[in-house]
Amino acid sequence: MSNGSIGILETRGMASLMAATDAMLKSAEVRVCGRHGIGAGWLTVVIEGQVAAVQTAIKVGEAEANRSGELISSWVVPRAETLALGAMPHGGGLGAGQVGPRAIGLLETQGLTPLVVGADAMVKSANVELGGWAFIGGTLCHVPVFGDVAAVQTAVEVGRKAAERIGEVYATLVLPQPISGLGPLLPAPPSAEACATGALGLIETIGYATVVRSADAMIKAADVRVERLNIGSGGRITALATGQLDDVQAAVAAGVDVIDVDDHLDASTVVSRPDPELMACFAGVVEGVREVGAPRRAMGLLETRSTVALVRAVDQMLKSANVEYEGSYKVGYYLTATIIRGDVGAVRVAIDAGRQEAVKHGELVSAYVIPQLYGGIDGCLPHV
Amino acid sequence: MGRDSAIGMIEVEGVAAAIVGADAACKSADVRLMGWESIGGYTTAFFSGSISDVAAALHNGEEAAKSVIEHVVAAPLSQPEPACRNFVTFPVRTDVEPREGALGLVETRGYSVHVHTNDQMVKTAAVEVINVLTVHDRVVCSLVLGDVGAVNEAIAVARDELADYEHLMATALIPQPRPEVLAAYGVPTGGGGV
Repeated sequence: MSNGSIGILETRGMASLMAATDAMLKSAEVRVCGRHGIGAGWLTVVIEGQVAAVQTAIKVGEAEANRSGELISSWVVPRAETLALGAMPHGGGLGAGQVGPRAIGLLETQGLTPLVVGADAMVKSANVELGGWAFIGGTLCHVPVFGDVAAVQTAVEVGRKAAERIGEVYATLVLPQPISGLGPLLPAPPSAEACATGALGLIETIGYATVVRSADAMIKAADVRVERLNIGSGGRITALATGQLDDVQAAVAAGVDVIDVDDHLDASTVVSRPDPELMACFAGVVEGVREVGAPRRAMGLLETRSTVALVRAVDQMLKSANVEYEGSYKVGYYLTATIIRGDVGAVRVAIDAGRQEAVKHGELVSAYVIPQLYGGIDGCLPHV
Repeated sequence: MGRDSAIGMIEVEGVAAAIVGADAACKSADVRLMGWESIGGYTTAFFSGSISDVAAALHNGEEAAKSVIEHVVAAPLSQPEPACRNFVTFPVRTDVEPREGALGLVETRGYSVHVHTNDQMVKTAAVEVINVLTVHDRVVCSLVLGDVGAVNEAIAVARDELADYEHLMATALIPQPRPEVLAAYGVPTGGGGV
């Protein structure tokens, strides 16, 4: 990085950041040289250029971000020091998203379930293309669509209404003529193949332990396939199941029913005849999951909001009964989970011991025993 | 079981207090820093040694961490099951040149202020920003290295710049950090953000 000037703008939410960045890039001779998200929806964009241009751009960006009330802070750094900025993480991870001559629409929701419902409504309502999705922490997720201005406007309006019916819409945005430099802010485009299916069922929970239990209940209740688990943010994780409409409805009902702690369920829904493009965007099969034969052994799940509590509990569990450590998984927002295996009696004893140990050191979120995990889901869960 | 018959864990809100705690722990007894874990807002430093060394190190490490931030949970594990070592996501790096100097820590919620204050610190004092850690829930911690006087000056500059910033969490100065602490926390790993 040479000693050019840089400008920094931090906002909450992608719609706000994108609107401000579009305005900045149009106002002066500057370019995006980095972005960084730090959770809870806080996003920073870094621009560079001549000092006067950066000053102008930041003023314009502030005004735009203030309009949506999402500005956190902004700075102009004239003659930025390499020694100060070389180690900062915003330079990496820039998306290479293309922004063509088409309009961009953005739907931003709290949680993944309303986002999927909104995205389905968007692609069905107008001739628009889904541009992938991303989460930015604090339960916020967004999906961009591309198309001509009228199509994008229609899609965003329809998508907002659909999403509002089952959850919270955080923001929407239509940029009729986006500047091409916005590319680095966009999520990676969908990489999976489009595919048709009868229905898509979603159950969004707080924590990994609950979603695994719910997914197991879904697949046992009806003829459905659990395609994948998607982390939302703010500790949310969603199981996506496909099959015929009746089956998916029965599966979602069973998956919700098994959640006995009310505030572990965030949302659930069934999308009938989801658009094939929607499936490519949200439900593509995860690469690299282990396809193994079912060990046909009981599974114990324990989830806490403390590493100390979890590690102490794991130690106790392994010492208290003949069980094996299988893996662990973090969904973010202070949550950390672990999985053990063994005979059902041993797993019960171990989980009891783990539960008692965990509460001494931190918050216990959930502790479950699944006597026999269904073969269709066993071995393809994301924990390692 | 020889010197590694116990593990000590110090968990804190953010990461600055864990760095201070890990350094104090390693200095106060014959323990080996293993690395650290981040679960989205809280981080935990892990170290191992004999049961009595771990107990002594935990005591001092916890005290030191509490001087930086309120939320600190510390606990030992005697004769730990091998699986307990799997929770160290960021081990002490052995592939990097050891660094020397005093370490300064500036921790806030919010990223953009770091771009500004890091630039100001480097312009005012002879320090280098060696790493910026993002540990989720908006926590960002900058690590600067230099001689003690320079780092002291840099921290004063940062505190001054952040006097009106409502999300300042902590600042700390470690005059002579242990090399393993720098190898665990002072090397950019990329990512960490969303």
